[in-house]
Amino acid sequence: MPTIESNLLPPDLMAQLERLELVTRKVFRGRMKGERRSKRKGQSVEFADFRGYVAGDDLRALDWNLYARLDKLIIKLFLEEEDLHFFTLIDASRSMDFGTPTKLDYAKQLAAALGFVGLIRTDRVRIETLGQDLHLRAPMLRGRKSVWRMIDFLNSIVPQENTTLAEGIKNFCLRNPGRGIVVLISDLMDKNGYESALRYLMSRQMDVYVIHVLSQEEIDPDVKGDLKLVDCEDQDTAEITVSAPLLARYKSTLNAFVSGAHEFCNKRGMNYLLANNQTPVKDLIGNYLRRRGLLR
Amino acid sequence: MTELFRNTLVPWQWALLALVPPAIIALYFLKLRRVPLEVPSTYLWRRTIEDLHVNSLWQRLRQNLLLFLQLLLVALAMLALLRPGWEGTKLDGERFIFLVDNSASMSATDASEAKNRLEEAKRIVGGLIDQMDSGMTAMIISFADTPQVVQEFTDNRRLLLERLASIEPSARGTDLRGALDLADGLANPGRVTVQEGGAEVDVVEAQPATIYIFSDGRFEDVKGFSLGNLEPKYVPIGTFDAKNLAITAFATRRSDAKPEERQGFVQVANLTNSPQKAVVEIEFDGDFLDAKEVELPTGETAGVVFPLADAPAGSLTAKLKYELDDGSRHDALAIDDVAYAAINNAAPGEVLVISPGNVGLDVALATERAGRLAKIRFEGLDFLTTDEYKRAAETGVYRLIIYDQCAPRSMPRANTLFIGRLPPGATWRGGIGPEDASGANPAPNKTETEAEADTKPASSRFDSAVAGPQIIDWDRAQPLMANVELGYVDIADSLVLDPPPGAAVLIDSTIGPIAAIAPRDAFQDVVLGFEIFGHEDDGSTTANTNWPRHLSFPTFWLNVLEFLGGGTEDSNLAPAHPGSPVELRPAGNATELTVVDPTGKPHTIRRGAEDVFQFYDTGRTGIYEVRRGADVIERFAVNLFDRNESDVRVRPSQDPQANSEQAADIRIGHFDVKAEAGQTPARKEAWKALLIAALFVLLAEWYIYNRRVYA
Repeated sequence: MPTIESNLLPPDLMAQLERLELVTRKVFRGRMKGERRSKRKGQSVEFADFRGYVAGDDLRALDWNLYARLDKLIIKLFLEEEDLHFFTLIDASRSMDFGTPTKLDYAKQLAAALGFVGLIRTDRVRIETLGQDLHLRAPMLRGRKSVWRMIDFLNSIVPQENTTLAEGIKNFCLRNPGRGIVVLISDLMDKNGYESALRYLMSRQMDVYVIHVLSQEEIDPDVKGDLKLVDCEDQDTAEITVSAPLLARYKSTLNAFVSGAHEFCNKRGMNYLLANNQTPVKDLIGNYLRRRGLLR
Repeated sequence: MTELFRNTLVPWQWALLALVPPAIIALYFLKLRRVPLEVPSTYLWRRTIEDLHVNSLWQRLRQNLLLFLQLLLVALAMLALLRPGWEGTKLDGERFIFLVDNSASMSATDASEAKNRLEEAKRIVGGLIDQMDSGMTAMIISFADTPQVVQEFTDNRRLLLERLASIEPSARGTDLRGALDLADGLANPGRVTVQEGGAEVDVVEAQPATIYIFSDGRFEDVKGFSLGNLEPKYVPIGTFDAKNLAITAFATRRSDAKPEERQGFVQVANLTNSPQKAVVEIEFDGDFLDAKEVELPTGETAGVVFPLADAPAGSLTAKLKYELDDGSRHDALAIDDVAYAAINNAAPGEVLVISPGNVGLDVALATERAGRLAKIRFEGLDFLTTDEYKRAAETGVYRLIIYDQCAPRSMPRANTLFIGRLPPGATWRGGIGPEDASGANPAPNKTETEAEADTKPASSRFDSAVAGPQIIDWDRAQPLMANVELGYVDIADSLVLDPPPGAAVLIDSTIGPIAAIAPRDAFQDVVLGFEIFGHEDDGSTTANTNWPRHLSFPTFWLNVLEFLGGGTEDSNLAPAHPGSPVELRPAGNATELTVVDPTGKPHTIRRGAEDVFQFYDTGRTGIYEVRRGADVIERFAVNLFDRNESDVRVRPSQDPQANSEQAADIRIGHFDVKAEAGQTPARKEAWKALLIAALFVLLAEWYIYNRRVYA
C-alpha cells in the first residue's frame, strides 16, 4: 500500500479510510465492472434468481439441472458486479474562504477523504466545483493510483468562483448525466436560496449527501459595536448595531436556517449533515458519516 | 396672573434647537461611524434584521429605545427652556427697583420659609427676578440706616441673583428715606435748572419704575418725599406675633450713695403680647458675675441694677436668658439679647485752673466728687507765660483749662472755660474785637497787647461790661446746666457776649447773652461773661455775684468737669449704635490709633482734620478696644438699643375694615402704600425637576447602551 503524504490526507486518516467503503442506498448502473453488486443481472458468480426462458436468451444460462428435473427451460440469473459513480461537488465561492481552517480547506479535506475511500474501492470518483464551466469536465478518477491526481486537483481549487448554488448544480447535472452518489459540500449561503439547487440533484435521483459546512465565526459571531457588514461575494452591506437581542436573534435565524435545510433534505430523501469547521475531518468521517450510512 | 410657560430663547435660538431632534434621528439612521467588517455572507444577517425591516415602523422604533431616550432628553431640555411654572405674579412694567431692608430687625427668625426675614425677602426678590422677561431691567438697593446700591439697573438676571445673594444682615436701624432718595435719583433722570429761579427741566423723559419695598415696616413714616413716577409696592416680611425680649439699655456709673462702688444698669423690654420672665446675667471679661431675675409685664420695660464693686477696666456683657411663655428659649431676634458696656481705666482727666485766686471756684472744685472726676491743678496767672504752659497747651495734656479773669495769647488744644474774659481772636467778638480793631486778621500785633492784657488783670473788663444784668433764662437742656437753678442769682456786671455761629447760649439776661458755649474744632469753649470774684487794680477782691452761695454753683462746676474735663472712667461716650461713627479724643498727641473690633480685627485710624479720631467700622455690636501701640487706652461699646428694631412684630393694619391679618400701610410723603395682600407668591418653576428627569433619562440611556453592547 503506498503511503501518501498530504495536508489533505494525513497518514492516520488514510489508515482509517482504508477500512471504509462508500455505501449507497440505491443501486445504480455502472459502466464498468466494479466491486459492487449491480441491480442488473449479469455475469458473476453470485446467484440472483430464476426465470423462464424466452426466445433469445443466452442458452448458456439455462439451468440444465432444473430442465432435467422439471422439463422446463429455466434461466438462471446471476447478479452483476459493477462500479459506482461518486461525485463530490465543492462550493468554492469566496464565502468559503473564511474561518480557521477555512471552510474551503475543510471541504477539500472532506472531499479528499471521501474520494480516497472511493478510489481504493475502485469506484469512479469525480470531484467538481460549482463554478466549473459547463463544458469543462473534471477528470474521472479510478483506482488507488489516481489518489495523487485527486490531491493535485483539490489543491488547484481556489476560492474565487462566483456562481450561484442553483446554477452550479444545474451545470453539474448537465455535465454528469449518470447516476451515483453526490456529496455537496457547501455553506448553502446563497441569497437565492438553496432549495431550487437541491431540487436539481433530487430530480436526477442521485443519492445526495449535503454536508453543510459552517465556520465557528458564523455559528457564534464575535462582533461588537456598530458595524457595516460587507458581503465578500456581492459587496452587499448590512448595517447592524450589535446587541444581545440582535445576537440572540441571529442565532435563532441560524438555527432556523440549519433546521430548515435539514428538514428540506430529509423530506426529499437527501442526507444532511452539519459540519463545524472545528470538528476534525477524522471524527466527521469516523462518526457522523458512518452513522449516516455514507460509509461502511 | 399666571402663565404656564415663559419663553427664554429668542426665535433664532429656538430654530437652532429645533434642528437637534431631526439631527439625532438622522444620525441614528445614518449611523455615520459604522466600522466596515467583511463577512462570508450577509445572508443570515440580512434575514436577522429582515424581521426588523418587515415589521412596521413602530416595530422598528420599538427597537430603538436609545433613540427614544435621546429624543426624550431633548424634549425635556426644551420643556425646561420653556420654564413651565405656576402661581407666579407677573411683573408689570419695565423697570423695577427692589428695596431690601437689611436692618437689625430683618434678622428675626420668624420667616416661614427661610432662615430669617432677610432670607425670606431675598427668596421673594429672587422669585421676582426669575420672572423678569427679556427687556425688563431691575435694580437692587439694600437699606438699613443708610442705603446701598447692590446692583444698578441691568437685565442680567444671573448678575441680579448673584448680587442679591450678597446682601448680608446688618445690626443697624432702618431709614427708608435714604433708600427712596437713592432710588429716585437713579431711576428718575436728573433735573437741570436752566436759569436761576427758572423752571426745572427734565433732561431725559422720565421713565416709570416700580419700587418693591421688602421690609418689616419698622420705620418712621417717610415725610416730604415725592414719589414722582415711582410706583411703590410694599411687601411686608415677618409675622404679627413675633416674640422678642430685648435689652434696650446698659450703662455703668458710680453709685450716688457709695461713690467708691460702681453700678451696672440694665433695661429690658418685653416686646411680646404677654407677660414674660427673664434672667439677666452679667459677665465681666467673660467671667460670670451676677444674675438677676426680672418680671416683664406686657409691653413694659424693667430695669435691673447690679452692684459691680470697684470693677477694674474691662468689658461687661449683659445676657438675657429666658423661657418664653410658649416654652421657647430663643426669641425672634438674637442680637438684642446681649448688650455690652465698657469700663475704662479710672484715669481722671486733667484740668488746669489759671486764676488770680477765686475762693468760690477753689471750694467748688475741692469736693470729693470733683476730685474723682478730674485731676485739678491750680496755677496763678504767671503760669501763662511759662514754657510748661505752652508745651501743655500745644500737646493737649489738659482736657480742660479754666481761665479765670485772664486769656491766653492763642487757644490751647483743650476745652476751655473763660470767666470774665473773652477768648483771644475775633471769633467771640463778632469779627471785630473791642480790644483789637484790626479785625479779621489780628494776629501780627495782637501778641503784644494781649500778653500785656494777660498780666494786667481786669484791665479791660469794664470796656463792654454792662452793669446789673438780670437773668432771664438758661438752657436747661444743656448738660452743663443740668440741675442748675439760677433763680436767685444776682450779677453785678457782665460782658455781653456775641457768640460765634454754632454756639449755644447758656444764660440769657436782660442785657443779652452772658454765658455761651461754642465748638472749636474738636473742643468746646465756654465763656462766662461775668466774673465771680473780681480783682480790682489795687488787689482787693469783690464778689461780682452771689452765685457761689447757691447750691447750683458746685453743681455747675461738677457738670463742667463731667462734660468738659471728665475722665473716661465710665462709658462717657454717647452710646454708639451700629454703623454710627465714633469720635475718639484720647489725651496726648498720638497721630495713629488702633481699634480692635469685637471679632479681633484691628483697624488703624489717623487723626482727622478736626483733631479727633473718627472710627466708622462699627457695624457689629460688642466691645471695641482702642489701642495706642500695645496698650489699651480706651474701650467703647456698640449696642443696638433701638426699640424700633427690637420690636419685630409687624404692625397690623389699623383700618377697621381691613382683614386682621393685613399689615399696616407705610406712608411715603402723602401717599399710603398698601401692604400687598399676603406675600407676593414666587413662581413655582418646574425646570429644575425637568432637568433632573433629563439627567435620569441620560443615565438610563447610558445603562441601556452598555447593557446592549457589552452584555
